[in-house]
Amino acid sequence: MTSPDSLPDRQSPSDGPSPLHAAVSRRGVLLGGLGITASTLLLAACGTAPGSAGSGAAAKGGVLRIARPIASTGESLDPASSLCAYEYLGALYSRLVKQDKTGAVVADLATVWQSSNGAKTWTLTLRDGVTFHNGKAFTSADAKYTLQHILDKAVGSPQAGVLGTFLSASGISTPDARTLVLNLSKPNAEFISLLTHYNCYVIPDGSASTIGSTGIGTGPFSLVSFTPAGRGSVKANPSYFGGAPVLDSIEFTGIADVQARINALLGQQVDLIAQTNLDTASAMTVNASANHTTVAVKNAQMYVLPMLFTAAPFTDVNVRRAFKQAFNPQDVLSLAVNGQGTVANSNPILPTNPYWLDYSLPYDQEQAKSLLSKAGYGSLDQVLYTSTADPTLSPLALAYQSAVAGAGINIKVETAAADSYYTNVWMKKPFMSSYWYTGRPIDQQLNEVFRSGSSYNESLWANSQFDGLLDAARAETDDARRKTLYQDAQKLLVDDGSTIIPFFSDRIMGMSKSVVNYSEFSFEFDYVNIGFKG
Amino acid sequence: MFSYIVRRVMLAVVTVLIASALIFAALLALPGDIARQILGRDATPQAVADLTARLHLDQPAWQRYFDWLAGALHGDFGTSLVSGLPVTEVVFTYLRNSGLIAGIVIVFGIALSLVLGVIAGLKRGTPADTVISLGGLLGMSIPEYTIATLLVMAFSIAIPIFPAVVTAGPDATVAQLLPAVWLPVITLTTVMAAYIIRMTRSSVIDVMASEFVTTAQLKGLPTSRIVFKHVLPSAMLPVLNVIAINIAWLVGGVVVVEAVFNYPGLGTLMIESVSRRDIPMLQLIGVIGAVTYAVCNLAADLAGIAFNPRLRTLSNRKAHR
Repeated sequence: MTSPDSLPDRQSPSDGPSPLHAAVSRRGVLLGGLGITASTLLLAACGTAPGSAGSGAAAKGGVLRIARPIASTGESLDPASSLCAYEYLGALYSRLVKQDKTGAVVADLATVWQSSNGAKTWTLTLRDGVTFHNGKAFTSADAKYTLQHILDKAVGSPQAGVLGTFLSASGISTPDARTLVLNLSKPNAEFISLLTHYNCYVIPDGSASTIGSTGIGTGPFSLVSFTPAGRGSVKANPSYFGGAPVLDSIEFTGIADVQARINALLGQQVDLIAQTNLDTASAMTVNASANHTTVAVKNAQMYVLPMLFTAAPFTDVNVRRAFKQAFNPQDVLSLAVNGQGTVANSNPILPTNPYWLDYSLPYDQEQAKSLLSKAGYGSLDQVLYTSTADPTLSPLALAYQSAVAGAGINIKVETAAADSYYTNVWMKKPFMSSYWYTGRPIDQQLNEVFRSGSSYNESLWANSQFDGLLDAARAETDDARRKTLYQDAQKLLVDDGSTIIPFFSDRIMGMSKSVVNYSEFSFEFDYVNIGFKG
Repeated sequence: MFSYIVRRVMLAVVTVLIASALIFAALLALPGDIARQILGRDATPQAVADLTARLHLDQPAWQRYFDWLAGALHGDFGTSLVSGLPVTEVVFTYLRNSGLIAGIVIVFGIALSLVLGVIAGLKRGTPADTVISLGGLLGMSIPEYTIATLLVMAFSIAIPIFPAVVTAGPDATVAQLLPAVWLPVITLTTVMAAYIIRMTRSSVIDVMASEFVTTAQLKGLPTSRIVFKHVLPSAMLPVLNVIAINIAWLVGGVVVVEAVFNYPGLGTLMIESVSRRDIPMLQLIGVIGAVTYAVCNLAADLAGIAFNPRLRTLSNRKAHR
């Protein structure tokens, strides 16, 4: 699922010599209205590809100003909340464990973890000598309280269901101050990966009623001020266990409108715009500015076309396969996001993940046609729903429409209202478009989005063999055998699954050229090393 | 005279009541499940069900409307479905911020538009008239978000004089907001000016052509005296209603302009509330809009009486008959 933040415009900067086609977009037209100034900007943008983040020695200190989307006027610093102010969390808090770039679980507040009893008991050894921002020492009681807080129904945490499948409040024990023991109701050899989620940041024991405004954690920065939907700031925590951060402080500004956020960057009121995917025209404008640059976060979003498993014609596996084989994924990637991403071949696992299976159904329109006729269709008319909820959804729908036309599939693209898309269309209409942030651990990714009956299973696909493979993988403590099981599950998903996944796309971030060591992937943001050029 | 005013006030109250019912009906017609919309896409089905019950969304619509009306008559407009704060408190903060922009636009923008309109009317057919009229038309024809974007490009990015957006939150002080209000003020004035300029111009031209002005000119009165004493009071009459509507529009609906500048005003609050289906918030914003329209129109009518000798003496003449 996505964070509730409204995701910004999506397209990517052109690296070709003809970026002027972008002028058909509204923003392009607006720029056109600027006459000479705008054409200068556009010409200057020719040939600019997204750069890489500045790296090298950062000067100690400085105040980084970040503009961020607003979750809601009711947003909170409680990490477990569905309305959590996402950008603050990584600065203020630590988790028990976090992810590295390949998706592997690495230490945060827990330094060692191991499962026993057939992956039903997990024992975590916690870091010693860590203190919260209020001076209180971090112990296993805080870790226990954090998990109980997430599981508490009254909190309504999105992660409650994920953890609650295995863990209940009574299953958490603390033999001593440095040890946390989790007794699961059923085995899960990947359970530890579920604790990398951004709802799982550790809060102090007993802080449920105040954490939303105090933000007391063990992270690299401590809270100075916070206003829901407004401004806030955090200052460096010199005693952070991972080493003192480079910056002195970070100022966050909530800006709801995407264009306003970009203007704030260009007007040098902020140094970086968080969680904002720049569309082509904006990325060109940012690159053309002498003081700014764009950076691509590789494969940050996964775009999907779920086909409702329970609705005709998708009840027939031949139709589902035909829809997957009828298009050239490279063409759709090029057309929808200017090639800024990676082909996914209907497999939701990132190619960088150690469990990834290199398998795909071939692009073959003749085979697609014969699959359709096998299902009893000479040609097929199908409505594909999209919305402006995310700016890539419509380009994706149109790219798909033109890519499958040769296989006798006539797609009619229907644009639904953005603000109610996820309540009225998503998981209700037979064929729709949707997207996810990448970076969920494989167990959560496959179970949440593809398992029978899961509340996020957007295609309603139900396959007991697939569910069985996931269960077997959870119970399998041998790493090599578990990998095989996850790969079998991926193959089944590609062959039989009810979701077309054309590509993963990069997120194009805009920032000041003076920012160095910006590093962001999945739900990890490096707040410790980011700084200004020395 | 007095009964006329009472009648007008009563009419305004009824207008606001009807508007509040219409707003409620419109909010019901918004697509999507309210509880899910508030909790976001990450919400669990259980959380959605709990919230639906807690917000009494399972009760019939008419009952919810009358509950709201009963509270509203006692000054209780409810609490935000999202933040749980009393909506009057929240709306007041944002209203104050919008009021800052609106106040400056009303004082400077409207005064400027009137002056330009009078000049254009008096100098009809001269280059001054052409420049003012064309400029006004141009401002009216370009959408406000385009003007706003152009201003930002020019005065925040190319020549950084003004901030591009407001980085302070809703509870910013006036001092914090003041540097950021000028681009929105210029945008709104540009969009609004054309209507007032054109109305003033044609009104001044009409009055200048009337017999009593000709008489005054024949009597040899100085032009300045004719303009200020005789022309302007009569010429203002039709302009008043245009100004009233524009003031109401300013306070209630500068949505797009506020969004472009991230200005924490009523428009920004409205966008956020619509996307989260914060019904009590929207209901109060709607009522404030309706009250503003009613009050502005009432004020325009009363000012019309003050300016118009025929209406002013209406009751006296009746007495003579």
